[in-house]
Amino acid sequence: MMDLRRFLLVGLLVVSAVIIEVTVLAPLPFPGATPGLVLVVVAGIAFALGPVTGSAAGFAAGLLLDLAPPAAGTIGVGALTLTVVGYALGRVFESDDRPVILTTLLTSAAAALTVIAVAALGGLLGNPRIRWDEVLWMVITSALYAALLALPLVPFIRALCRRVLPEAFPR
Amino acid sequence: MRDIQRGRVVLAILVLISVTFILLDLRGSESGPLRPLRSLGEVVLGPLERATATVVAPMTDFFQGLSELGEKDAQIAQLEAERDRLTAELETMEYDRDRARALDELYGLASANDYVTVPAQVIAVGPAQGFAWTVTIDVGQRDGVQRDMSVITGQGLVGRVVSAGPFTSTVVLIIDATSSVGGRLAGTSQIGIVSGTGRQDVLQMQPLDPLAPLDIDDVVVTFGSEAGRPYAPGIPIGRIAEIRGTQGQLTRMAILEPWVDMSTLDIVGVVLDSSQRNPREPLDGAPLPTASPSPTASPSPTTSPVPTTSPVPTDAASSAAPTDSPAVP
Repeated sequence: MMDLRRFLLVGLLVVSAVIIEVTVLAPLPFPGATPGLVLVVVAGIAFALGPVTGSAAGFAAGLLLDLAPPAAGTIGVGALTLTVVGYALGRVFESDDRPVILTTLLTSAAAALTVIAVAALGGLLGNPRIRWDEVLWMVITSALYAALLALPLVPFIRALCRRVLPEAFPR
Repeated sequence: MRDIQRGRVVLAILVLISVTFILLDLRGSESGPLRPLRSLGEVVLGPLERATATVVAPMTDFFQGLSELGEKDAQIAQLEAERDRLTAELETMEYDRDRARALDELYGLASANDYVTVPAQVIAVGPAQGFAWTVTIDVGQRDGVQRDMSVITGQGLVGRVVSAGPFTSTVVLIIDATSSVGGRLAGTSQIGIVSGTGRQDVLQMQPLDPLAPLDIDDVVVTFGSEAGRPYAPGIPIGRIAEIRGTQGQLTRMAILEPWVDMSTLDIVGVVLDSSQRNPREPLDGAPLPTASPSPTASPSPTTSPVPTTSPVPTDAASSAAPTDSPAVP
């Protein structure tokens, strides 16, 4: 029963994050990168529910981003990077004490590393679109946007999880 | 301890699946083993995106309206900008008219190709950190859209459809680094390859003839492909903003500025059919351009820097049709 609720909650969060990122955030003319709502939501889930749910949520979210039109990249790149993000951020806090400043910084760092990882994977796989002169700017802006999004969203997702899945706390 | 182990196992499995996906997808995106998965994404997520875009559009408009409320300074600036724009327009009108006349004379067949287009709205865009310039539009196979159709606006060429789902389609913009379009200089009929650079305001054109005369502000239109797919002929692409290399140099290249502002794409048209009439036919020995067919779609240079201005996206008529007919003066 608890697993079904966990599945539904994570699924709902991930799907809406993907849809909002491509239909709302990406068309808006933000300088540099598109705010990585999906990554922040995965980070929030991982902080709240741990590495197993975190990596599963990351995999699902990344795969959806790889598949949601107008995705044009290689299927699996997003899944791979966000799986690792979900796992790593889920492992960070073993105790129940997680200061907002730390979660924000970690999410921001994860966003920056993800951009680098995607660009590096693209380079390895021969993606002709990667523009290395833009990567630094993308890294900086996506770290910034991720921090701004994580500040309210990570605590919100934690509160939501605590409400819907009280038995999962304290982890 | 058991939990940590479980976490590692899950991580390993998911990473393995992701890597498998990557390897399978590299074998070929179009017909590869993951094609069904992509189609599934189109069928399931496309309608979701459509619905979200419909809900969100009025809200974004509303918030934009709110942010402008009571901002007199902004309003004044806007009016001043508009005045400047109109003044500039007035000044360039003469120039535009000259250019339109020149093009008419060159092509001799203003409004010869009437495109049948289906209007569409951009509902989703690829995240910028993916470096791909692709958008989703809200028409699909149900509306007659198929792979490799041109996508245009009233200003010019936007891109081509790379995959058409039942309700939505994905368009690769001409500025995407993987895009290349056959282009033709409007003035001299020289042909070249126009490729995207990944930057939203820069295209590169490599003329096939290194001795081709290139000039700043020359207009480049599509060369056209077999049966108008993927690119229908005569659609304006952009104008030459810079020329790199000297005449005769093999690596000579023109930097183009696309007519269409790719960052503000909203309503576009998908060219369903451009082959109703071969635009070259009327030229055979016929006197030109007085015999130009329908005056309704003749170029009205006042509103656009290029001789094509039918409000998108009805039967958008592009007057700039390329021709290699000997009848051209």
